[in-house]
Amino acid sequence: MTPRKDLLDIQSLTDAEIEFVLANAVPFKDLFRRSVKKVPTLKGRTMLTLFYEPSTRTRSSFEVAASRLSADITHFDVESSSVVKGESVLDTVETLEAMKVDYIVVRHKQSGIPNLIAKNTAASVINAGDGWHAHPTQALLDAFTLREVFPDLKGRRVVIAGDIQHSRVARSTSLLLRRLGMKIAYLAPGSLMPRELPKNITQFSNWEDALKWKPDAVYLLRVQMERQAEQFFPSIGEYHSNYGLTDERLKILRERGVYLMHPGPVNRGVELTDAGMDYERSLINAQVENGIAVRMSVLYWLRPGAQGGVS
Amino acid sequence: MNMKRLYRGGDIASEDSPKLKRADVLVEGGKIIRVAAGIKADAQTEVVDCTGRVLLPSLFDIHVHAREPGQEEKENIATCAEAAINGGVTGFVMMPNTAPAIDNAGVVRSVIASAGRTRIGPSIYTTGAITKGRKGEELAGIAGMKAAGAVMLTDDGFPVDNPQVLRRAMEYARDYDLPLASHCEVKELSGKGSMHEGSVSYSLGLQGIPAISEEICIARDIRIAEYTRVHLHIQHVTTARGMETIRRAKERGIRVTCEVAPHHLIFSHEDIGNYDSHYKMNPPLRTKEDNEALLQGLIDGFFDVIATDHAPHTEFEKNQSFADAPFGITGLETALPSLYDRFISKGRLGWNLIVKRYSAEPRRILKLDPVPVIEGGIAEFIVFNPKAASTFTRAFMKSKSINTPFLDKEVKGLVERVIYRGDELLAR
Repeated sequence: MTPRKDLLDIQSLTDAEIEFVLANAVPFKDLFRRSVKKVPTLKGRTMLTLFYEPSTRTRSSFEVAASRLSADITHFDVESSSVVKGESVLDTVETLEAMKVDYIVVRHKQSGIPNLIAKNTAASVINAGDGWHAHPTQALLDAFTLREVFPDLKGRRVVIAGDIQHSRVARSTSLLLRRLGMKIAYLAPGSLMPRELPKNITQFSNWEDALKWKPDAVYLLRVQMERQAEQFFPSIGEYHSNYGLTDERLKILRERGVYLMHPGPVNRGVELTDAGMDYERSLINAQVENGIAVRMSVLYWLRPGAQGGVS
Repeated sequence: MNMKRLYRGGDIASEDSPKLKRADVLVEGGKIIRVAAGIKADAQTEVVDCTGRVLLPSLFDIHVHAREPGQEEKENIATCAEAAINGGVTGFVMMPNTAPAIDNAGVVRSVIASAGRTRIGPSIYTTGAITKGRKGEELAGIAGMKAAGAVMLTDDGFPVDNPQVLRRAMEYARDYDLPLASHCEVKELSGKGSMHEGSVSYSLGLQGIPAISEEICIARDIRIAEYTRVHLHIQHVTTARGMETIRRAKERGIRVTCEVAPHHLIFSHEDIGNYDSHYKMNPPLRTKEDNEALLQGLIDGFFDVIATDHAPHTEFEKNQSFADAPFGITGLETALPSLYDRFISKGRLGWNLIVKRYSAEPRRILKLDPVPVIEGGIAEFIVFNPKAASTFTRAFMKSKSINTPFLDKEVKGLVERVIYRGDELLAR
C-alpha cells in the first residue's frame, strides 16, 4: 500500500486502503471499553481543524479521535479570523503551512476546497465535508457500522432517503457501500433528485415502492431547513408525510427488522419522529461512536508529507 | 519601406478548397504583388523560406474580452492585441462587459482610441452594450455608439432577460444595421451553477447549469429576431439541441448566424477532473456527444464562425473554489495550434474550414473584406509550421493572464510569422 497524504473522497481510495481503515477501526473501538482510552500512536503530532461551516459533532468526533491517539489538537477559528476579512483560503493555508501542523481537517460549504488545500500543503488534509461533494469519513463510519450488523455486506440493500441533490453524505456513503457490494436506492422528491445518477443506483419517488424493494437498512438524510428559501418542496409538513419516516412507515421497518441510520443532527418531526429516535434497530448512536474509531483509524493511516493523495 | 519580401515554398490555404496550393508569395508595400511558382528574388528582396509551412489568411476573432476599461489586472487592449498577434489573429471584436460597460459613445470612442495605439489598431473593433450597464433594463445609446464606431450590439455575459427590452433593442439594431449578438442563458435555470448539469456535476457535487438554460434562450431570441428582422448572432453554442433550433431557423431563412468556441469542440465536462477552474467557462463544457455534434456542425457548414471568447482572469481569481472562480478562459494564443493539433492534423478539419470560419466569415459578418492570400490582396497572413510545436508557457503567452487548460502543455503546430498589412508583426 502506497503511503497516502490526504483523504479527500471515496473515489480515490483503493480497496486495500478501505479495508485497512475499516479493519483497524476495530481495535481502536475496543479501546473505548478500557478505562484508559488513550494510545501514544500520534504523540508529538498536531491536528488542526479548519471548519468554514459550523459542525460541532464532526469536529468533536475528530478531536476526540485525535486526543485518544495522543495528538495535539488545535482549532483555527474561522469565524473570528481574518477569513471573514476576505483572506482567501490559500492565504490561510499558507499561514497554516508555516505553523507546521501534521493534519488539517477541513469542512467548507464549497465542493473541492479540500482538494485545493491539499495541493498547497504538505500536511495531510482530511475532508470533513465539502459542499455537496464528499464526506469520506462519514462514508467509512457508515460502512463500519453496517458491517457490525451485517458481517457480509454483499447484496444487502440500503435506501437513502431525502435531499439527495445537496447531500455529500449520500454521494460518499452510496459510493463506498456500492464498492463493498451493497445495493443502493435513492428516495427523494423529483426536485431533490439529481438529474443524472450512476446507473447502478435505483431511484424511488415514494416509500411504497422503496419498501417493496426490501431494504435491509434505511438511511435518512437531514433536511436542510435553510434551503426552504428556494422551495424544493411545498412545506415541511408535506415533506414529512411524503418522504419522512412516519410512525406508520416505522411500523413496517420494525415488522421487517430493517435498520435505521441518520448522519445527525436529526430534525425531529421532519425526517423522523420521536418514535423513530427510540427505535430498537436504530444505528444512529452506533454511528456516532464508530465515527471516533474510524477517524482514529484514518489518522493512523494517513502519512503527512507523502505524495499528494489527489484524486 | 520599399523592401520586398518573398515567402518561398509554402503551401497556401484558402476557404475554397481543403487542398493547399504550393506557391511563392511576393509582398511589397503592404500588398501581395505576386503569387506564383518559382518567383525570382532580386537583390532588394528578403527571402523567407516557407518550405513545409502553411500560409493562411490571418485570423479574425469576433468574441474577445480585452477587459478595458476597468479590469486591466486581467488584460488590457495592448496586451490583448499582442496575445492576438501571437496566435495569428490580426483583428478582433471586443466585448462590452468592462467596468464601466462599453454602453455609450464616450466609452466606445475611448476603447477605439486605445486600440489605435496597438500594432493592429485599425483591425480592432468594439461592440456596444444592448442595455445600460448590461442590466437588461434600459436601452443603451445605440445610435450614438454606432456613430462612434461600434460594430455590433451585445450584453455578452448576460442575456437580456426581458423579452420586451430585447425586442426594442432588435428593432433599433435592425434600423442601425448592427448585428445583435446574444449570450443565450435563462439565468433562473442556470442559478449559481458552475458547470454542465450531468453525471460529472453530480459526482463533483457542483451545482449544474442545465443545457435547457441555453437552449430555451436560443429559441426565444430567434423568435424575436424573426419577428423584428434583425441580424441575430448566437454566441458560443454548446449543445446539439441548441444547434437544432438554429438550424431550423436558418432553413426558414431567418437572419441568424452563430459561433463555436475551440474549447467547446475540444473539451467536455469530464475534463474538469480535480476541480480545475481552467475548465470553467460559461456556457460550460458539455458532453462528449455535444463535442462531436459541434465538430460535425463546423464540418458541414452549420457554424458561421469560430470565435474564442478569449476571457482573461488573474491567477488569484481562478485559484478559488471551482464555484467561486470566475467563468472564462483565454483563447487567442491557443486557438489555431490547438485546432491544428486536435483536428486538422488528424484530417478531421480541412484548412479551408479554418480559413472560412476563423478568417473570412467573421470579417463578412462585420461587412469587412476577407484577406485571402491572392495576387493584389492585402498582405495579411500567417506562416504556420505544422512540424513545430507550441508550448504554452507563461513566457510564450503575451496575454496578461494564463487561465487556459493548455497552460504548460504542448500541442503540434506553431504560428511562426504574422504579417499584417505587409509588416511582420511576429517572426520566430
